[in-house]
Amino acid sequence: MSAQTVDVQGRKIALLRTGKGAPLLYLHGFADIHGASAGPMPFHDRLATSFDLIAPAHPGCADSDERDDLDSVQDVVEEYIDLVDALGLESFHLAGSCVGGWVAAAMAVRQPERVKKLVLIGPTGLFVSGKPIGDIFWVAQPEDGIYYNDLRRMLFAGADSGVGKTLFPDGRGEIPQEMLRYRMFRFASQVGFTPPYLYDRKLRDQLHRYTGPALILWGEHDHMVPQDHGKAYAEGFPHAQLRVVPGAGHSVAAEKPDETAKLMAEFLRG
Amino acid sequence: MQPAQFFCWHFMAYPYLPKDFDEKYESGWVTVPNKLWDSEKSDDLYQEYIDQLVYSEELGFDGMVLNEHHQNVYGLMPSPNIIAAALTQRTSRSKIVVLGNLLPLHLNPLRIAEEYAMIDMMSHGRVIAGFAVGGGPEAFNYNLSSAKSRRRFWEGIDLVVRAWTDDGPFEHEGPNYPLRYVNIWPKTKQKPHPPVWIPGSLSIETMEETAKRGFDYFLSSRVHGAATRAAANRFADVIKAHGGTYHPFRMGVLLSVYVSETDESARAEASEGVWYFLRNCLKGHLRRIGRTQTFGPGIPSQSVRSWEQYLRNSNPGEDRLGDAHSWEELDAGGSIIAGSPATVRKRLWELIELAGVGNFLIQFHFGNMKAEYARKSMRLFAEQVLPELRKDSAALFARGYPQLAEIAGAGR
Repeated sequence: MSAQTVDVQGRKIALLRTGKGAPLLYLHGFADIHGASAGPMPFHDRLATSFDLIAPAHPGCADSDERDDLDSVQDVVEEYIDLVDALGLESFHLAGSCVGGWVAAAMAVRQPERVKKLVLIGPTGLFVSGKPIGDIFWVAQPEDGIYYNDLRRMLFAGADSGVGKTLFPDGRGEIPQEMLRYRMFRFASQVGFTPPYLYDRKLRDQLHRYTGPALILWGEHDHMVPQDHGKAYAEGFPHAQLRVVPGAGHSVAAEKPDETAKLMAEFLRG
Repeated sequence: MQPAQFFCWHFMAYPYLPKDFDEKYESGWVTVPNKLWDSEKSDDLYQEYIDQLVYSEELGFDGMVLNEHHQNVYGLMPSPNIIAAALTQRTSRSKIVVLGNLLPLHLNPLRIAEEYAMIDMMSHGRVIAGFAVGGGPEAFNYNLSSAKSRRRFWEGIDLVVRAWTDDGPFEHEGPNYPLRYVNIWPKTKQKPHPPVWIPGSLSIETMEETAKRGFDYFLSSRVHGAATRAAANRFADVIKAHGGTYHPFRMGVLLSVYVSETDESARAEASEGVWYFLRNCLKGHLRRIGRTQTFGPGIPSQSVRSWEQYLRNSNPGEDRLGDAHSWEELDAGGSIIAGSPATVRKRLWELIELAGVGNFLIQFHFGNMKAEYARKSMRLFAEQVLPELRKDSAALFARGYPQLAEIAGAGR
C-alpha cells in the first residue's frame, strides 16, 4: 500500500495505490477516503485484495492541490484523464461514489474506450425532474452549532449510524479530520453548488456513449440521491444493471463494505 | 481637526413576526416562510424606515448606511441601490453608504459600476461604495458556490474601479467576467472614484486585498473593545506591509446603540426591539441555536488556511450574540450599548480611545422597535452624545495621527 502524489500538468494529485490485480480507478465521495477518512476504510481494503486500487483525491481534497480555476465536473474529468495518462493506464475499471460517481460517469462518456467496466455507487450527476438531490451543504451547517444529525441522515441510513458518527461526529472533531471534510465540501461546492445543483443536465443524453458493462449500486435508504436517479442511469447506459443494497443509506461503501466490495468484485471479474 | 464620523445604519427589519417565531423556525434567513410577510401591515414600512434615515441627516449624522440581504427577516433590502436612489431625492448633505453591493450575486459587475455611478451623480457625489462577497445565506439564496465567490469578487471590484476611472471603451480580459466593451455612462461625480469600503470579519486575506488597493476596511464582526483594537492593529500592519499609512478613517466598525433619558428608561424602551432582533433577526446568522447559514462547512468560502485558523480559535458550542441570556450579558458584551446620554457617551469614548477607529456605523432601530423610540434615541444621541465625541475625537486623532491633516479625503 502506498500513499503517493503524482504531478499532473504542474499540479499535485494525492492518491492511494494498493493491492494487486486489474487496475481499478476509484473516485471518492463524502463518507469516504479523502472525503472524511485520511486512510483506507474496510471497503478499500477489501477491494485491494482483488485489484490494483488507485484512489486519487479530488482537486483540493486531502493532499491534492487546490485549483482556483475549477468550475465544473468536466474540469475534474480532464484532470483525471491526465492522471491516468501519467500513470500509463491504457484501460482500467472505473468506479466512484456520490460526487465521485458523477465524475466517473462523466469520464466514462468522455473516454468510453478506456473504461473496461464501470461501477457507480449512489452517484449524483443526473437531473431528474421532481426528484432533487438533497442539499448536503445545508445540512452540513450544524443544528444548534454542534449537531450533525441531518447531515448523517442524508449521508447514511440514519442519524445514529455508527460509521456516520465516526466520520461525521457532533461538535468539533480533531482538526485534521475537520480539514479533510472542509476540503471535500469546498471541492463539492466548486463543482456542484452553483446551478445546476450536483448535476449536469446534459449528462443523461450522453450516457449512451459508454457501451461497456455498468453496475449501479444504490442504498435502500439513500436520503440524498433518490433511487430514480439510479433508474435513470441504468436506463441511460446500454448495458447497465441497478442493484439495491439493503440496509444501506447513501454511503453504501462506508456502511456495507463487505457486500459492496463483493458485489463489485463479482461484477468486475465476471 | 477631523472628528470621528458617525453614521446611522438601518437594517430595515421585518417587524411583524409571530410571537412564537423562535420556537417554530430554525432560521430567520433563506427558509423563513414568506407566508409570514403581511403586505397590509407592511404598507408603510419602507416609508417609515426611509424617513428615519432622512431624519438622521436633519440631526447632523455624517451619513446613512444601507446593505444588501436576501430572503430574510433581518434586512429588507435585496437591492440597497433602490433605497439609495430614494435617499438622493430626500437628502442633500449626508453620505450614502451602501455596504455593500454583493458583487458575486450579480451576473455582471458592470451593472454595479453603472448603478453606483448613477447614485453618485444623483447625489452630487455623496456615495461611499461598499462591496461584499455575501455571507452564507446569499450562497444558498442565489445558489452561488461560496468557494468560487471570492475569486470572482476581487476581479469584479477591479473591473468596477477600472470602469469608473479608465477611459472607455476598453476590453476586460478577466477569466470570470470577460468583456469586450467597457465604457460606462454615466461616470462618477467623485474623482477619481467614490471611496470604496470593504467589509470583512477579520480574515487576513480580505484585509490584504483591501490594503493592496488602498480601500478602507469595515469590521463587520460584532467584536468590540479590545478585539476592535486588535483588528485595527492587524489592519494597520497589513497597510504598512503594503507601503501605506494607517489612520482612523481607514477603518469602520458596526455597533448598536439605544439612548434614552436614563439607563433604566433605555433598558425599558429598548428591550422589546432588542430581544426581537436577537432572537428572530439573528437566528440563522449570529445565533448558535437553530441553524446558522452565515459561516460553516456547508459554505466553504474561507480559504483552507483561514478555516484551519478559525477551527483552532473557536468553540462551536459557544453562545453567540443572539443567544444572550440576560440584559447584563448584553451590556457586558459591548456590541449593544444602551443607556442615558452620559452612559453611552462614556462607553463610546472608551471605544474611540481604545480602538483608534474613525468611522462608527450605528444601528439605532432594532427588530420591531417602535419608530418613536428609534427616533428619540437618534435625537438624544445627536444632541447629547455626538457633539462631545466629535470634539474629543478630533483632538485625540490630531494628537495621535498628525499626518491626518495632510491626507486629502480622510474624514470628511
